[in-house]
Amino acid sequence: MMDTSFRIVPCGDDALRIVSGPGRVRHHLAQYLAGLTDWLEIVLGKDDVTVVFDVHVLSMAAARRRLQAQVSDLPELTGTGGQLHLLNAVFGGTSGPDLDAVAGANGLSVEDVIEAVCGAELEVDMIGFTPGFAYLSGVPQSLKSQRLATPRMRVPSGSIGIITGQAGLYALEGPGGWPLIGRVTEALFDPHAVKPFRILPGDRVRLVAERGP
Amino acid sequence: MSITVLNPGPQATLQGAARQGLRQFGMPASGAADPLAHAIANRLVGRSPDATGMEITFGPASFRFERTMHAGIAGAETEIRIDGVFQPPGQTLHVPAGATLSFSPFVAGARAYLSVSGEMAATKSFGSASTYLPASIGGHEGRALRKNDSIAVSEVFSAPVVRMPMELRFALSHSYALRAVTGPDWQEGMQDQLGPFFVTQRLSRMGVEVEGGLAAISVAEMRPSSAVLPGALQVTPSGRGFLLLADGQTTGGYPHILQVIRADRHLLGQLRPKDRIQFLLRSQTESEAALLAKQKLLETWLPGFRL
Repeated sequence: MMDTSFRIVPCGDDALRIVSGPGRVRHHLAQYLAGLTDWLEIVLGKDDVTVVFDVHVLSMAAARRRLQAQVSDLPELTGTGGQLHLLNAVFGGTSGPDLDAVAGANGLSVEDVIEAVCGAELEVDMIGFTPGFAYLSGVPQSLKSQRLATPRMRVPSGSIGIITGQAGLYALEGPGGWPLIGRVTEALFDPHAVKPFRILPGDRVRLVAERGP
Repeated sequence: MSITVLNPGPQATLQGAARQGLRQFGMPASGAADPLAHAIANRLVGRSPDATGMEITFGPASFRFERTMHAGIAGAETEIRIDGVFQPPGQTLHVPAGATLSFSPFVAGARAYLSVSGEMAATKSFGSASTYLPASIGGHEGRALRKNDSIAVSEVFSAPVVRMPMELRFALSHSYALRAVTGPDWQEGMQDQLGPFFVTQRLSRMGVEVEGGLAAISVAEMRPSSAVLPGALQVTPSGRGFLLLADGQTTGGYPHILQVIRADRHLLGQLRPKDRIQFLLRSQTESEAALLAKQKLLETWLPGFRL
């Protein structure tokens, strides 16, 4: 059995949050809870997993007891992470309008930044915000980057944003505040596909730089 | 066999059932921003609570019925006319073929719902006909309705004329008392600053920005992202609040300090700019009692509807 002394706190009046800390334990928890039938939604956070229950069936107290019991029965963590995706990407130019600035701020060349990002195996920490938006961890901490002071109104789908330690993949076009260094050339979200979401939590990602024209 | 959009107003979309189990992929529930008003509109034409209908924002708006149908309308305060003739609110309307159904600019509330005695054609996506604009899915071509759009209506039937019971008429005003429980980022000392808040001009199906209240809020640093659900009040770095609606983001990093209780959440879809909000802090037990009481009041006339 695992150490299951996780704190469970209410998240409003129809959801509960398991504060598990970061890392793969969240994916494990979410997968385990998805196999049970009690929870309407199971949503990963950076440090937690939140479940939504049916307020017409369970009281907060009953839901909490049930979740507590399930979590204390959590089987041992197994497996070695999800599928590995190799994603082709173009960097800089109109695809990555902030690449030069990120390189400059770090005293690096553009090639150094691309190499740092493509050299790392990234892990999909969570999917959230908007459909398919992937939060990836594993970007070298030495590469500093922070949110833009003024978010862009329109970030093209496929865009790769970075803030220190992590990358974000914009599956949909929409507003966004992460500095953009490049763009994945294949669709990350296709509502008409059999598998609409290409990347799932726990998966691993390697970005492969396509040579520019 | 259709309805022609003459004027959609600032935004009109087709909305049906909420999507479920997709927040793990970043996909919100969508569906009506005010599910209660949507259910009432459907009930007026004898349809199930989340049958596909039209969500109309702010008005004015107008539609031409290309064949005779019954219509049910609920939600925002607006003057409803058929070919210019004023219609009483809260009852089934008979709309003859060729007639124009119009809504005046709404005077209270932000959204009105139009249901008809037939099936409005909508594209199902992820199990629901609800339009979700950011992903261009559901509804009519995944987008808001435009002038001259034609919404096909099939399986038209004749609905008996019914009136909504007086005790179910929730009066919409410009001032709301919204009951809320504490959110995960609640801090002691906030209980004395729960209002008034005022709705700003920033408002969509994703959420409503509010300002005021919580004058001393200085906790607006980012947190590690966690799940957020409709009804969440988050505090942004600008010191304003953001209340999430049906299309709201699934995770967020701003402090989540309050959660409007399930029983009152339907009202969020009716907030309009300058509306005044006072939050009333409730315990979990009080929230459960409030839900039971409202659910009991509603279910005699709205069978199958769940707040």
